[in-house]
Amino acid sequence: MKPPPFKYHDPRTVAETVELLARNENAKILAGGQSLMPMLNMRYVQPDHVIDINRVEGLSYIREAGGRLEIGAMTRQREIEYADLVARRAPIVREAILNVGHRQTRNRGTLGGSLSHLDPAAELPLVSAALEATVHVQGPKGKRDIAMAEFPAGYMSPSIELDEMVIGVTLPVWPDGHGYGFVEFSRRHGDFAIVAAAVLLDVEAGGKIKRASVTVGGVGPSPVRCRDAEKALTGEKGAEAAFRAAAETCRTIDAMEDVYAPAWYRQHLATVMTRRAMVAAFGRAANAR
Amino acid sequence: MTTIAFTLNGRATSVEVSPVRRLAHVLREDLGFTGTKVGCDAGDCGACTVFLDGAQVCACMVPAGQVAGRRIETVEGLAKDGKLTALQQAFHHFNAAQCGICTPGMLMAAADLFQRTARPSEDEVMDALGGVLCRCTGYRKIVDAVLHVAGRVPAAALDNTPDAGRAVGARFPKVDGLQKLDGREIFGADQAPADALWLRAVRSPHFSATFTVGACDALHRKYPGLVRVFTARDVPGNNGFGVYPQVKDQPVLADGDVRFRGEAVAALVGDRDTVMTIRDDEVPIHYTPRTALVGVDSALAEGAHRLHTDKPGNILAFGYVERGDADAALAAADVVVEGTFETAFVEHAYIEPEAGWARRVGDRVEVTVTTQTPYMDRDEVAQVLGIANEAVRIIPTACGGGFGGKLDISVQPLVALAAWHLDRPVRCVYHRIESMSSTTKRHPARMTARYGCTKDGALSGFTFFGDFNTGAYTSWGLTVKDRVPIHAMGPYHVPAVRAKTRAVFTNETPAGAFRGFGVPQAAITHEALMDEMAERIGMDPLEFRWKNAIRVGQPTASGQVLKASAGLAECLAALRPHWRKARAEAEAFNRTGDGVRRRGVGVGAIWYGCGATSAPNPSTMRMGVAADGTVTLYSGAQDIGQGTNTTMSQVAADGLGIAVDRLRLVWGDTDLTPDSGKTSASRQAYVSGGAAKRAGENLRAEILRLANAGQDAWLRFEPGAIVVEDRGRMQTIDLRRLEAGGPNGDVIMAEGYFDPPTEPLDEKGQGVPYATYGFAAQIAEVEVDVELGTVKVRRIVAAHDVGRSLNPTQVEGQIHGGVAQGLGLALMEEYIPGRTENLHDYLIPTFGDVPEIETILVEDPEPTGPYGAKGVGEHVLCATAPAIFGGIYQATGVRIRRAPATPDRVRAAILARKEQRP
Ligand code: FES
Ligand code: FES
Repeated sequence: MKPPPFKYHDPRTVAETVELLARNENAKILAGGQSLMPMLNMRYVQPDHVIDINRVEGLSYIREAGGRLEIGAMTRQREIEYADLVARRAPIVREAILNVGHRQTRNRGTLGGSLSHLDPAAELPLVSAALEATVHVQGPKGKRDIAMAEFPAGYMSPSIELDEMVIGVTLPVWPDGHGYGFVEFSRRHGDFAIVAAAVLLDVEAGGKIKRASVTVGGVGPSPVRCRDAEKALTGEKGAEAAFRAAAETCRTIDAMEDVYAPAWYRQHLATVMTRRAMVAAFGRAANAR
Repeated sequence: MTTIAFTLNGRATSVEVSPVRRLAHVLREDLGFTGTKVGCDAGDCGACTVFLDGAQVCACMVPAGQVAGRRIETVEGLAKDGKLTALQQAFHHFNAAQCGICTPGMLMAAADLFQRTARPSEDEVMDALGGVLCRCTGYRKIVDAVLHVAGRVPAAALDNTPDAGRAVGARFPKVDGLQKLDGREIFGADQAPADALWLRAVRSPHFSATFTVGACDALHRKYPGLVRVFTARDVPGNNGFGVYPQVKDQPVLADGDVRFRGEAVAALVGDRDTVMTIRDDEVPIHYTPRTALVGVDSALAEGAHRLHTDKPGNILAFGYVERGDADAALAAADVVVEGTFETAFVEHAYIEPEAGWARRVGDRVEVTVTTQTPYMDRDEVAQVLGIANEAVRIIPTACGGGFGGKLDISVQPLVALAAWHLDRPVRCVYHRIESMSSTTKRHPARMTARYGCTKDGALSGFTFFGDFNTGAYTSWGLTVKDRVPIHAMGPYHVPAVRAKTRAVFTNETPAGAFRGFGVPQAAITHEALMDEMAERIGMDPLEFRWKNAIRVGQPTASGQVLKASAGLAECLAALRPHWRKARAEAEAFNRTGDGVRRRGVGVGAIWYGCGATSAPNPSTMRMGVAADGTVTLYSGAQDIGQGTNTTMSQVAADGLGIAVDRLRLVWGDTDLTPDSGKTSASRQAYVSGGAAKRAGENLRAEILRLANAGQDAWLRFEPGAIVVEDRGRMQTIDLRRLEAGGPNGDVIMAEGYFDPPTEPLDEKGQGVPYATYGFAAQIAEVEVDVELGTVKVRRIVAAHDVGRSLNPTQVEGQIHGGVAQGLGLALMEEYIPGRTENLHDYLIPTFGDVPEIETILVEDPEPTGPYGAKGVGEHVLCATAPAIFGGIYQATGVRIRRAPATPDRVRAAILARKEQRP
């Protein structure tokens, strides 16, 4: 099939891009193209305008500022994969990215693209939620920040206006020596996850869990923070039974159903994946031993 | 349109294209670099992998605008100054390219890896190549080839230059292997005249509907590039096709009635952009949907509408085999087990979608197409056009995978019809969704069987009933319903058998031929019951099979006494040491393990009759010597990646007594080669091989006659002459003085013919359905994550009785690929019309899924086969799923009754079993 006919724009700045978005109806931003191109090829989307932001300046960076990690929207997934800074300060992001597609897709795919596409099982929105990222967007009225928890408006739809675009993300950094676990269930390596879990643990000297972040993707329409599990973990010392009990709270998450997996199985996966991610995270925490 | 300038394989290039045209198409259509393949256009198959600024990307997902000013490298740029890279050579030597359609993508992905590291580990190889799918090789030879270049695996065993008369049995690399490595190989979508029009079929979105087509004037006005819209009434001959001469029930273009979602209703012909731009809903087709009969139960239900007026109850046909009194035998048996088993639609998922083009040449039509069966295509196209068979010429391209799916016609009648009417070349390339939704599948089956034995382990009786969902049209449904009862009890001697099948029409995708023709489904049934019986009588599953394995001198359920070449017992014996070791290891692992991961080992045994069932099934091969001394084999046997071009050359060369690398090969073209039948039913090595051997021998006899020399004379082919040396007496045949003639203009020629001896089956299925059978047994070592229900196959050991291995490297390739497909059938593949019709939702095994495979070739020679050979192409798939299911049982105690055993099903079964056991 041939993509439907549309007008192609090739802006150089964010301001220009935003203006194009504001001026044209039914416009789509083309970032790495790893989701949009197949959708265009198959005609699942039929925009009238395609705005290619590959030449927009200043959207590709990875840096640390004020104890936080800042990543530009057009940063390719492979750059995140290979970035030392990410491996040191937010190792769960690297862990997650190794599960994103294949080499070919990571070489093109971008962080901003993945967040804007917001597939319910995608890895990058999931770790962004786990880290409580802030998403930076820009529109004709200027820039604004959206907490990752507020970012999804529904199934595959971010809560940004039609004339806004994602320009970057700020990721809070957990203390050195924190534990992290990213565990994914997919039918084959490189496939979209059916269910994935991201767990971060801050373990204090003596082995007690001071703070926990537990998030699952692929169960609901967007990543789900498992507050009950987090509460259950806090104060625990890494006993198998404690992880089991904490993970069990995920069995009641409202779950989707599709050709890959019935709802009960997704809920089951949520408990197993979160538990395994907890075990992995605890095992990595410097103070756990 | 924009001018986009970039560097392509080191050269400055510029094209005038839309900036959102995908790079894959710019390379292929605008620049003629067709080495980059397109299997999905959606980022799922990796066939389009190229380098963008030195890093691998999917060219189907990169818009042209993004390559401006960048560097692109494709497979055509790998070899420097005509010298293949070490990687390309390794692919050749390891037989890492079978059909070759995935090879460019694989090579690029591997080359990308070597840019990053010189000595990658196996895990790194898996990771780097993991985005490229292959349906032929089972990946292992690809991994080996890459690891060889990495210095981690020794060179491939290889026999590049066998002496005259010693080609059979040699590990001779593919005669057509090199062109698969540098982008030169031409597949169905790779070439067509520049002025060819494009055809796109408009397909039904409904499973079942009546429809009318309105006037297309408005459409023509809106799209000036639209040349014609063809519908059913434009078919000049018979608007029906089908693989049997007497059954042509599938219309080329539906005539007022659609019976499955994806059925072709109209064909748009025009320039490419136009036919691709028009949306289906713009074409004035008015559907009136009606109840869709999905699944055999709804088709068999009282009051269900008839799909075909002449088929009451939607029953295509029954198949039947009866020998002895099975009920009495079961009543007298010490142990009787029974069960009902289900399998799904399975898609061939060759990486090359259907493609081809046609042109009219006077009163003839020529169709260049990817196919498994040139002569059947010829006759189909002829009757659709209403012209003589000889007025059609089929020129096969290289075939990027078939597995049975390219036995039925697809684009052939459409492009032929359009070219015939318009007198212009017309081409058509299916896109992935079209390929999956409109072409045949493996029959879903529901089978209920009872099996009984004595307490000392002798099989006593077997009954079987199976419903096979044949979809909307007959396709190969009659073959499946006949083949299954013959094979349903498995490769054992069973005194009393009653097996019945029913092929049922539904409003689903036609089910046709897929590696095994129903035997893989039946094997799941008989092997599960064999395991249960063995357990009930306390006998080892492998020993139980060995004891009952059918042997020479015993009758089959069809009453055919096997005269030779029944090597199952030998296969099982060869597996015995592996089996005992692996079973013990699994038990030890489970005793000491964490209880979450549990291991098991299963065995599956199968048989498979080579060639058509009780039907004439001949092949003819021709050889000739030209005036300049060139010796040519004219082979109509289509190579679909399995290596037929190579094995036929080996057999023919030995028949003649010439070194195989001296033989020229002309293949496939129906104007240039004789009918060697279809590439199906594991018949080419056996049947066409038999013809090729005879062609070689007959040519030799003809040369000896001309030289008046004795049988043992020795031949030397020289420019313009053949030197015949007979017991010291040298004679020269001056070829330039002989008259050229025959269909190929050779000066000496001969043909070979072979038709396997079979006999018809009576109403109880008694007779000689096949001249010979192949046998196989495989063991699978699996690990089940009982918490998740996931099954990881850790290792397969496959023992196959192939009669005689014509080329062990090619046979291993078949086994590896078959095992991978068997694994897919067992664990992940389920085609659901309208839902899993792309390579994203329909899962085929990828690198990480296919385990280490050890192959054991058992050679119990078949006297009627060439040098003792018989077929192997389908046997390889049939034993894998039963072996995996046996492994799951040992690991978990769960018996799998439904394929695929997806994680949620396995998990549910584990939970159900826990509940049953307090
Ligand atoms: S054609 Fe590009 S990934 Fe399949
Ligand atoms: S050789 Fe890989 S798809 Fe055929």
